[in-house]
Amino acid sequence: MNIAQVIFYVMAFVVIASALFVASSKNLVRSIFMFFITLFGLAGLYVLALADFVAVTQIVIYVGGVLVLILFAFMLSGKETLGILQQQKGKFISVSKLPALLLAALFFVVMVNVVLKTDVNNLPWIKQVTAANAAIKPNDLMIDNIGINLMTRYLLPFEAISILLMMALVGAAHLARKERGAI
Amino acid sequence: MNFYITYFIIAIGLFAFVAVFTLFGVYAERKLSAFIQDRLGPTEVGKFGLLQTLADIIKLIQKELIIPAPADKVLFLMAPVIIFVAVYLGFAALPWAPGLAPANINIGLYYILAIISIETLGILMAGWGSNNKYSILGAMRSAAQIISYEIPAGFALISVVMIAQTLNLQDISLQQGILSAEKTKFLGFWDVSATGGILSWNIFRAPHLIVAFVIYFIASLAESNRAPFDIPEAESELVAGFHTEFTGLQFALVFLAEYAMMFLVSMVGVILFLGAWNTPLPNMGAVQLATWTTGTAWGIFWILAKTLTLVVIQMWIRWTLPRLRVDQLMNLCWKVLTPLAFLCMLISGIWRLWLM
Repeated sequence: MNIAQVIFYVMAFVVIASALFVASSKNLVRSIFMFFITLFGLAGLYVLALADFVAVTQIVIYVGGVLVLILFAFMLSGKETLGILQQQKGKFISVSKLPALLLAALFFVVMVNVVLKTDVNNLPWIKQVTAANAAIKPNDLMIDNIGINLMTRYLLPFEAISILLMMALVGAAHLARKERGAI
Repeated sequence: MNFYITYFIIAIGLFAFVAVFTLFGVYAERKLSAFIQDRLGPTEVGKFGLLQTLADIIKLIQKELIIPAPADKVLFLMAPVIIFVAVYLGFAALPWAPGLAPANINIGLYYILAIISIETLGILMAGWGSNNKYSILGAMRSAAQIISYEIPAGFALISVVMIAQTLNLQDISLQQGILSAEKTKFLGFWDVSATGGILSWNIFRAPHLIVAFVIYFIASLAESNRAPFDIPEAESELVAGFHTEFTGLQFALVFLAEYAMMFLVSMVGVILFLGAWNTPLPNMGAVQLATWTTGTAWGIFWILAKTLTLVVIQMWIRWTLPRLRVDQLMNLCWKVLTPLAFLCMLISGIWRLWLM
């Protein structure tokens, strides 16, 4: 086992253990902060896969944006609402959990299927890339590649996402606006 | 395996530097505020009170760690560590001299922006963990302020990156002096590749970056929670904001983080706008001032001098301007700085396409 594998297993353990804690903890705030460790560990796994840009973007968007937003929503909501959320009945099996269990079970089946059906060591596209000597090396510049692809091959999805975000911004500004006549 | 030892030595060295900087930063701030307010400042401990902050830190280390009874103990203990580590990690990517950077990362600037945003999380953690209404109000204010001001700061930085065409901080530094591999033009018309000096700094390569620099500087004040943007720890309203409950070593860590943050944002500003480790002296005919004053030792000297100047300006502003109200703060960010930053970005694009 080389050092990269050791790091991979440590990171994977951190991610899974913290994710389990997030799901099982009774204390909502602690699970939000634990979620930070999950996201950070994921970023580490991305770095290990030589996707440093994705890793940093993960931290900017999820840790700097989404997580802080969740915390904000949490701290601004009243104590009563949170109390109800935190006092769920301790029954392990109940009818209300059935949809979630079903979904999880189906997803698990899909995952197991994927693991069993793919031959990880002989993937055709990996062989192709290795044969063409086009594999990514640790020192390669990836951002130029991402920028060019975003502006050529993936321009339509990129623009569609921009319009979606624009709509969200306009909607947020409209909701926050003072209504005419009300002071 | 030798390089692992080197990594540790570099990490410890950076930490030592941050600690020493904080010690003398606090001393300088107290002396400067005393000068501005016509007082004397610390005078008793050591010559001119030089050892005052050293005595302070020894006192802080000896203090008992008090955890308030209703506090969330884990979050309360973790918060100062996360606040400090977030800032400290940012130091890894900063270049100090030609060929001398702790980690020469391709996306260094983006990494620093990302890692700094973790500080917000630490502050929210401190506010919630303390279980104190002043702390939580301070934490909320701080998070709102940092998130808002990240936008103009980010766009000001993007306008530089568009000119430089790279996110690697060492490459950005190289472009702004005589060591540059590509052509450097002063104001877009005069080739100064061989002259170097102050003429080839980014703010003179593209003059609209002066505006971007001012935007970035104002936003960086807000991001490090310094006056006039210190409403998160407004003493007259919130006792001490998010760090009200901290004592001893934890308080020292929060303080260390604040001063490290001041240094970090100043250094990023210097690297991107003010020529990084390049000398301000140009080559003039036979007097090769730029060539004589470029090198590893000179590089460290120049970048330290420039960064410390910016830090002093930050302190000067703190003791000169009154604190902004929350609505004024948000107005300034969203209605003045953000549109201006967008304009800078637009001009950068045009400048890069047609003038460089």
